[in-house]
Amino acid sequence: MTSPVLAAPRPVREPARDEGSGGWSAGFSVAIDESEPVFAGHYPDFPIFPGVCVMECVRRAAEAAKPPESGELRLAAVESSRFLAAVRPGDELAIELSWSPRGEGWRCSARVATGRGQAASVRLRYRREAEA
Amino acid sequence: MSIDAVTRLDREELRELLAETIDADVAEVRDGADFVETLGVDSLMALEVVVVLERKYGVKFTETEMRSVRTLDSAYDLVRQKLQERS
Amino acid sequence: MITCEGVRAALPHRYPMLLVDRVVEMGNEGIRAVKAVTLNEPWYARLGPQATRGDLAYPDFLLIESWTQTAGILAKRLAGEAADGQVMLFGSMSGIEFHRQVFPGDTVEQHARLERAVNDTMIFEGDSRVGGEPVLTIGRITMAFRPGERLNPAHAGPAAG
Repeated sequence: MTSPVLAAPRPVREPARDEGSGGWSAGFSVAIDESEPVFAGHYPDFPIFPGVCVMECVRRAAEAAKPPESGELRLAAVESSRFLAAVRPGDELAIELSWSPRGEGWRCSARVATGRGQAASVRLRYRREAEA
Repeated sequence: MSIDAVTRLDREELRELLAETIDADVAEVRDGADFVETLGVDSLMALEVVVVLERKYGVKFTETEMRSVRTLDSAYDLVRQKLQERS
Repeated sequence: MITCEGVRAALPHRYPMLLVDRVVEMGNEGIRAVKAVTLNEPWYARLGPQATRGDLAYPDFLLIESWTQTAGILAKRLAGEAADGQVMLFGSMSGIEFHRQVFPGDTVEQHARLERAVNDTMIFEGDSRVGGEPVLTIGRITMAFRPGERLNPAHAGPAAG
């Protein structure tokens, strides 16, 4: 899938079953380098990593740590995203995500932080591919 | 289960709706918990709560009424009053 | 109607993140704009000699960004001079549904409607269409104007949401 973001999420906590909720959680890190192409236009000499690109990093991390039993999934919706603080060139995003079954499909909830603290929370909803 | 007979307004359903809108656990949204002081709701979220309530219950708030929505109790009372006005 | 030079004057965004080509119609409550998708979008530069149809699907999150920039043009107009020197921040979004993919040759029509505005905070909703077909539904996006310098890296102090 073509993406505006170059950075690839690096696993920092292997995906594992979460005993309590029965969900499937994992941890990733994403280095947001100043060479990311979006910074040139967002904004000229005032670089702020776009909110939709923070969501793109969450999506890539989520899809790299799908629950084994989820099979083929397709993104159906962004249930909600909240942006709490700006992300800037050189930041390292720490992404904590957890998958849980949701009706016919799956939901992935993620928290994103930079060195300065919480930056965003994102909730994605996926549908089984066959159903699409 | 506490559903207001006249307006069919379900307090627990309202609690869940508010928790979902402000990204909090349902357990955190206690009846008297202040959205701003206790639950860290900022001006953006406050307006979202208003819009979600208006859409869900088909009501319209004035700006002063909007500012009075600070806890689950005040949200419940305001929505119930609005529903009664309409029925 | 706002021409391409008008769009460029209205938005701080520039290549490769200026994702509105023209505003077709704008009133006090709503706006309609277009963004053409071509085989020359910058993101396709990374594709190898062969590309599958999936590779050429326009990045769906950028459809959200294009829609948000459309709403941003209306927000700026509604805020008037209060917005001068301010940066428009995208606080949150919810209920974003994807219906079908967009491909080079499609022209995306962005429809945004102002739902609520209270002092500097605004909430918009709407959808994106191609050939009248729904591509994306936007349940709600919240935006607020914040002083630019609070965000500028050169300035110390907390980064604004």
